Amino acid sequence: MDTKQSASDGYYEVLWPRSPRQTKKKTLARRLDTLKGKTIAQFWDFVFSGDKVHEALEFSLKERFPGVRFVSWKEFGNTHGQDERKILEELPARLKALGVDAAISGMGA
Amino acid sequence: MLRVSAVCEEAGIPAATLVSEGFIRQAAMTSVGLGLPGMPVALVPGHPDAQSPEELRSNILEVTTQKVIDCLLKTSALGEIDVEPAERDIVFSGGFDQVNDFFYDSDWTDGLPIVPPTRSKVESFLRWTERKPEDVIGIMLPDRRAATVWSIAVNGVMAGCRPEHMPVLVALVAAMVDPEYGVEHSGNTPGSETLIMLNGPITKQLGFNYTQGVMRDGFRANTAVGRFWRLYLKNVAGFILHKTDKATYGNTFRVVVGENEEVLRELGWPPLSADMGRRAGDNTVTIARYSGGNVIAGVAGSTAKAIMANLADAMIRQYSWQLCFFIGSGTGSLRPLLVLSPILAQTIARDGWTKDHIRQYLFEHSRMPAWKFERYLRDWMNKPLWNLAEQVKLGNIPALFHVSDDPERLVPPVFKPADFMILVTGDPMRTNAYVFAHNGRIGFPVCKPIALPANWDGLMASAPPKAG
Repeated sequence: MDTKQSASDGYYEVLWPRSPRQTKKKTLARRLDTLKGKTIAQFWDFVFSGDKVHEALEFSLKERFPGVRFVSWKEFGNTHGQDERKILEELPARLKALGVDAAISGMGA
Repeated sequence: MLRVSAVCEEAGIPAATLVSEGFIRQAAMTSVGLGLPGMPVALVPGHPDAQSPEELRSNILEVTTQKVIDCLLKTSALGEIDVEPAERDIVFSGGFDQVNDFFYDSDWTDGLPIVPPTRSKVESFLRWTERKPEDVIGIMLPDRRAATVWSIAVNGVMAGCRPEHMPVLVALVAAMVDPEYGVEHSGNTPGSETLIMLNGPITKQLGFNYTQGVMRDGFRANTAVGRFWRLYLKNVAGFILHKTDKATYGNTFRVVVGENEEVLRELGWPPLSADMGRRAGDNTVTIARYSGGNVIAGVAGSTAKAIMANLADAMIRQYSWQLCFFIGSGTGSLRPLLVLSPILAQTIARDGWTKDHIRQYLFEHSRMPAWKFERYLRDWMNKPLWNLAEQVKLGNIPALFHVSDDPERLVPPVFKPADFMILVTGDPMRTNAYVFAHNGRIGFPVCKPIALPANWDGLMASAPPKAG
């Protein structure tokens, strides 16, 4: 019996309104030893001044890590646009083909 | 951005996600559903669009650069994913007020008291579907939870639905999980709200309002099913205010809107369900997400053209940021909605107009100057790549967007007449209309059939009297 009268406002045994998560904990990729000579992919969702942010980051990282190379966000297109699912599906192969070692993805705002 | 980073991490590529100050908590919560709880992010101080170019550059050089370097070079430990109850667990026992306090404190309500979801109540809902309770209709971000039939029943009970609403609830969740709709965007900052449009004989059978005051709470079916939508988004999809739901303002849920099919039959116009690819007369739900809209009151005119001139003007006035924000983006993904009261539809139809005539008229007359369209896309949204002439040249948009270099030439918010949606509902005798500003791929229109159990008529005949 999940409902019985025990007080003026009843008695209820109630169920969990959520449902099980369908994800297990994954692991992060191994971090790099240095960015010197590495290739970094830039990703952008085409809002919140991400082009300017990527430009400034590229400038400062090149100053600190000689030989670091960038694959522009223009290469990938809008990562939050109507092609997002397709872009994400194809991304692992593209990262490999482009020789990417690390990624910077923006803009969350 | 986090989804991109998660794919990179899974592919063995370390990633740094750029997150501005107000979104750090959302990133932390969202990372759990991606299986990477507490994945490293790089702080961007303040909000980038509120800073001068010099300020922004200085913040990136002095703060964000080091955070990016840390993300990519430093090994950090991920957090844990909380252990949670099993789906059918009893999570609390007590009186009505105690249950409600517990659910409110657990962040499982919309702030209003809920109907306690007891096993017997949930089972009474399950009798109205042929789906098994454990059936998974889809998986939803950000929490990546399973949209099970069981959880639909639990949230339906909580919302105050009646058991016979269950087939509608199941169809709604099928629409919610459809990738075309894009439920994962439901926590974005415009805080847009979904409109549920109902078609078919079930509208009358279940007592949904489809006439006067159709968008107002007051009818149990319209209100409770609309409430269910928001509860399900919260409890199963995982959009929770101050965590993963980042609506800047937000809205309360919208009540379900039934279409007036009696009037449509009289006019010989197809219902919305048929426009959405189903058969006229089918029971369906259609969903689409709108940040807002406006009632167009007192539409004067005794001819189709007189009425439509006013409505075309009203329609284009709803469009500004929707053209540029994320997934409208001038890419032809907007589906504006025109809601006509029956008397307006009847007056328009009297001139021999069909829904297609209305769509064509809107396409030709609901327009803005090209310079203004470009300004939304390029100057007011920091989208450096946008130029109508160039987009036409690249074949990304139709040629009609650049028929000349005249900046005053008029361009539509959509690519083709069929993009306009039309719904007939509301007070039958009032000359008012409503236009809704659609949000593109952030809530794209999706229509799903409502599957009734084989013994529907028998169940309806034996249903207990309505309490409300």
